[in-house]
Amino acid sequence: MATAANKSNPVLDWIKNHMPEKPPKEEKVSRKEKRERFKKRLATLTPAEQKYLRRKQIIDAVWPIVRGLLVFGLCFVIIYPLLYMITTAFRPRSEMNDPTIIWISHHLTTSNIKDAIKTMDFWNTLGNTLFINIGCSILQVITCALTGYGFGRFNFKGKSIFFFVVILMILMPSQIILIPQYMFFRYFNPLWVYHAITGNYINLINSPLTMYLPALTANGIRAGLFIFLFRQAFRGLPKELEDAAYLDGCSPLKTFVSIMVPNAGSTFLTVFLLSVVWYWNDYYVSTSFFTNNSTIALQLKNLDASLTRIIFNNGNIKINARELIVWMEAGCLISITPILIMYIFLQKYFTEGIARSGLTGM
Amino acid sequence: MRLNLSYEKKKGLYGYGFIALWFVGALIFFIVPVIKSFYYSFNDVTPDVGQLIIKWVGIANFKRAFMTDPDFRKNLTSVLGQTAWQTPIIIIFSLFVAIIINQKFRGRTFARAVFFLPVIIATGPVYAIITGDLSTSGTADADQFSSMFSADMVDELLEFVGIYGFNDKLTEVLSTMTSDILNLVWKCGIQIIVFLSALQGIPTSAKEAAAIEGATGWEFFWKITLPYVSPMILVNLVYTIIDTFTDPTNVVMEQVLQIQDDWKYGLSAAMAWSYFAIVLVVVGIVFAIMNKVVYYDN
Repeated sequence: MATAANKSNPVLDWIKNHMPEKPPKEEKVSRKEKRERFKKRLATLTPAEQKYLRRKQIIDAVWPIVRGLLVFGLCFVIIYPLLYMITTAFRPRSEMNDPTIIWISHHLTTSNIKDAIKTMDFWNTLGNTLFINIGCSILQVITCALTGYGFGRFNFKGKSIFFFVVILMILMPSQIILIPQYMFFRYFNPLWVYHAITGNYINLINSPLTMYLPALTANGIRAGLFIFLFRQAFRGLPKELEDAAYLDGCSPLKTFVSIMVPNAGSTFLTVFLLSVVWYWNDYYVSTSFFTNNSTIALQLKNLDASLTRIIFNNGNIKINARELIVWMEAGCLISITPILIMYIFLQKYFTEGIARSGLTGM
Repeated sequence: MRLNLSYEKKKGLYGYGFIALWFVGALIFFIVPVIKSFYYSFNDVTPDVGQLIIKWVGIANFKRAFMTDPDFRKNLTSVLGQTAWQTPIIIIFSLFVAIIINQKFRGRTFARAVFFLPVIIATGPVYAIITGDLSTSGTADADQFSSMFSADMVDELLEFVGIYGFNDKLTEVLSTMTSDILNLVWKCGIQIIVFLSALQGIPTSAKEAAAIEGATGWEFFWKITLPYVSPMILVNLVYTIIDTFTDPTNVVMEQVLQIQDDWKYGLSAAMAWSYFAIVLVVVGIVFAIMNKVVYYDN
């Protein structure tokens, strides 16, 4: 039996022979010795320098602990509601009234989640949301990039006035323009002649076009900010890149596609991700254009009412506010899960992208 | 006939080409609606089949918003007050956090991800539900944070040091601030990232010079960090103010939406416009003041 272990394994031998040699161990210095050396060094310094060094030593020792506590505490404040969401989403509603339960319940149940999925018509809504979300974000990235490139790289008459409009788009609260936009979509009149020819209007309310048309023309949700980000990003690229392309006979559009876009890749990704997140979370704009809760955010906003209608039998089942929490938190949990998964994998593009993509170059 | 244009002029024309699509959209979805809504604010607007019936009423809507409406002025002052005391705290807090997570330590990437997490979640209805639920359920209240520094504890601490009967003002201020800590931390995501990138932009030469001169961390903050990040303080100030004002969950925005749902378009437009005018004035004042203080390293 022992022979198997003693036998030399050719593979292991090969690895052993080809391993880089271990670096020689550093001379081990005892703490006492270190202190002695430090004292010796101190003696050679002026009193002011000594004071500085002593102070630095103390701060270097204490600060990491303070910092660790601070970071932990603040992270906890942010994660706390999420932890609460997870524990309550799987809690039977009767246990909400039990004062002995704060975090961990005696029994776990998935019925809240199931109810929430049923109430929100989750899978259909998810499909619909993704359809609006991804499509609009892609369109918006492309059109905002084109516009940002125009602002960042070309000089033309009236540019500052046009750009002022972009700034206004960022500043203006969206409720100012919602009613005229609603009328535009409610009585949609393609090319302004449709009504004259047919005598009818097209009702676009509840159609995804209410989201797609603005996105198609770089006027979707927070488009002003995205145009601004792209402008800053393109402005930061060296001029030589562009000139070289022109000399080689590239048209501006081709220069844009083949030279500028690859160089602004991280901005594209960041804008796309932020756009997805903001479309996902939007209920302020979409509540005006959709009367049938067809996105996740709208479903969640009205979860209260739909729970009463569907699960609580039109209010025949009496639920108190504390018990209602388990369903609400379950709804929240399933609503943020898709976006959270995306965030976990692409986290660094959110943070690094914003840092790099010139919000800071104002 | 071929147009003979200089290279620069041709380029300029292409510039128009690049922004053309956006401009058409902006005309339809932004500029015309803005003008229309401005016009509505001076009119009585009632919806009818296929159109809006518009009757000129002058400034009656504005009068009604400010004089008759019981809530509008109250909501307005509450939002203004909230912005006034939250903005400085958000700025200081996010600068502080940015400085901390700019240092090298284990788990830094994780901390960054966590601090940005609110941006992903808090812009939607989720945040309203979370905070609402936390305060409904007594067992795991948002006040738990404040209980860590609650009035009692501050009092006990002071008594321990030998100061008695200090219960009133200070502890009150402390406990309101701490009970809002959740609220504040959840609003700082973007600001922290912006400060972080500004901190990474501090030139090494400045850091080395400070180290050679033997600057303490405190001196380094006031003489190196602060001047270099001051342009970003301006950016963050403007961003925070706009973000607080245009947050769909604030009381003014909610009221405007509510009135829109009641089909009183003229009144809601008047409210929205006066609100926007106030936002512009505030941003303008902040910009004018800060522009004098900001240090630009050119």
